[in-house]
Amino acid sequence: MSVMRDGDRTPDGPTAAQKSAVELAIRTEHLTKIYGQRLIAVNDMNLEVPRGSVFGLLGPNGAGKTTTLRLLLGLQRPTAGRAEVFGKSCGPNAVAVRSQIGYLPTNPELPEDLRPIEYLDLLGKLCRLPREVRQPRIASLLRAVGLLDATDQRIQTFSTGMCTRLGIAASLVGDPPLLLWDEPTAGLDPSARRFTLDLIRELGKTKTIVVATHILSDIDQICDHLGVMHEGRMIFTGSTQEIKQRICCDDITLELEGDPDHIGRLAREVTNLEGVEARVIDGQAVRVRIANGRSRSLVLAEILKSVDACGLSLQAIHSGQNVTENAYLQLLQEDEAHGFHR
Amino acid sequence: MGSTVRTLTLGMKMTPYVAILEHDLRGLWQSWLVRLWLTTAALLTLMLVASNWSKFQDATLIASLLFPHLVFPWFFVVVVLGVSPVSGSRAKVLADGILSRPVSRYEYLLAAWSSRVLLVLSVYLVTTVPAIVIVVLAKRPVPADTVTAFGTVSALAVVGLVLTFLVSLGFLAGTLLRKPLLAAVVLIFLWYPVGLVLNVFSLEELSPVSLSRAMSTQLRQSWRETEADAKGKAIAEDDTFARQVDHFLGVFSNAQSKPPATTPDFFEGGAFDDFSLLRVTLGYGAPTLLAVVLAMLFFCRRDL
Repeated sequence: MSVMRDGDRTPDGPTAAQKSAVELAIRTEHLTKIYGQRLIAVNDMNLEVPRGSVFGLLGPNGAGKTTTLRLLLGLQRPTAGRAEVFGKSCGPNAVAVRSQIGYLPTNPELPEDLRPIEYLDLLGKLCRLPREVRQPRIASLLRAVGLLDATDQRIQTFSTGMCTRLGIAASLVGDPPLLLWDEPTAGLDPSARRFTLDLIRELGKTKTIVVATHILSDIDQICDHLGVMHEGRMIFTGSTQEIKQRICCDDITLELEGDPDHIGRLAREVTNLEGVEARVIDGQAVRVRIANGRSRSLVLAEILKSVDACGLSLQAIHSGQNVTENAYLQLLQEDEAHGFHR
Repeated sequence: MGSTVRTLTLGMKMTPYVAILEHDLRGLWQSWLVRLWLTTAALLTLMLVASNWSKFQDATLIASLLFPHLVFPWFFVVVVLGVSPVSGSRAKVLADGILSRPVSRYEYLLAAWSSRVLLVLSVYLVTTVPAIVIVVLAKRPVPADTVTAFGTVSALAVVGLVLTFLVSLGFLAGTLLRKPLLAAVVLIFLWYPVGLVLNVFSLEELSPVSLSRAMSTQLRQSWRETEADAKGKAIAEDDTFARQVDHFLGVFSNAQSKPPATTPDFFEGGAFDDFSLLRVTLGYGAPTLLAVVLAMLFFCRRDL
């Protein structure tokens, strides 16, 4: 993802800046936020989020993810640098920017004295939606997030999961093209978490979504682009493929059932293949490492033939470990190691 | 057609403002502070009218009803109501719920300020206007008085303006200091010696005490009447009421009673000849506007 300068011009078309505004949902340049001359929350961040992507903003607690989102919303003012959403500058009174954004904060604090319909109606009015648009949308959103049965309850009686679902509905009231969701699965039970991830996947077909989280398994399932933050700095941005390629982890583990001697024979046969190493793990599994340049699919096909030939029953195949997690941890370690050079 | 479209567009533009105003008013109405204030104000008004029913003429009795709105503890309630919208724990709910939506901070602040002013003025008018109507229309065992419609409206407006100023002052303090309790305490310490400060700058006319004492004269003022004509109508019982006010405030401020002045002092002898509606309006109106503008400027530069 290259950064285009404002002055760049195409031969007979819009400027590079205009073009990037069309292609990018979010762009930040040297975005910096320092609290009270003491804490650097966001440090010289250059970020580009392509339109239509599901962008995972990763980082440990205190990395600056939430501050970044709040800077984009204009809830906080940058100490230096600038941020743009769909080519428009962010700021406290940037109403046009916020009309393009649906924000879900972590564990949203909602007005407890209201009922869900009253709350969503208030937000619909804030989005300047006419009544004839507002009412049907509220009904469909409440149905979509599964809160139709809770419409007569006050928000103060809601569980964490219900509040998050209402927060999701609230972020969608204005039907914005960009969603900023801050830890949307925090505190959710497995079914609510599954529902949220499915929803992100579905919404990602038509909207740009930024999901700030430190739950890597969520990122693995839903995101096509990633940004990794550490101590206020963006230490990596790119596609999920790019981050996975950072770690050449071509291990495949085969879980097998059968005679241990046959498993040993399989390991030897596989090792005879060109560019492949295999060893027996715990007597019932074989870990295979494929060298760079060898086709994984061809090697795997050969191995599966050998499994049959050895009279073994294949129970499961695991491709490496959690690649994203490894890559993420590696990035953090590298950043820690280079800390002195920054 | 064009004007219809323009009206619709303006209506849509005003939708967030109206929505926040309604939401805020509803929230304020549900607070125990407002309900307690309304109940106490109504009871106090009733007690004042009943206890002075056959003692004071119309103007003096009405002035006594307006008096509590100019002094502690009503001042404290009004200031606390003004302090709350952008401070304390409310700030996070505000940021998450409202200011992350397509609403400018100006719109939010203006709506929050309007709702507080509306509420304070509503409580004030709901408790005083019916009592004033009863006092004016009822046949009471006191000499007839010459309370005018203009005088009544202008006196109500002056007190309303002071209350609006106090809300705005609380609003500014809440925006600047963030902590509601701290803001309220600071304002009490600022407002407490206000009479002294105004005296230093020869602006006694604007002090709540002076306003209270001038009310009965103002209530008798007619639209075309000069101040000189009106002041002659101030009667002896105004002095009684004025002394009561002085004593009441003296207790709160721990101030000693003034020794008799050798030269005519401000408002001495119930003359109230320095009271000017225009000066009072400017004296409270301009700082009110300034407080609102400053609150907006500070709030727009603030992180949430």
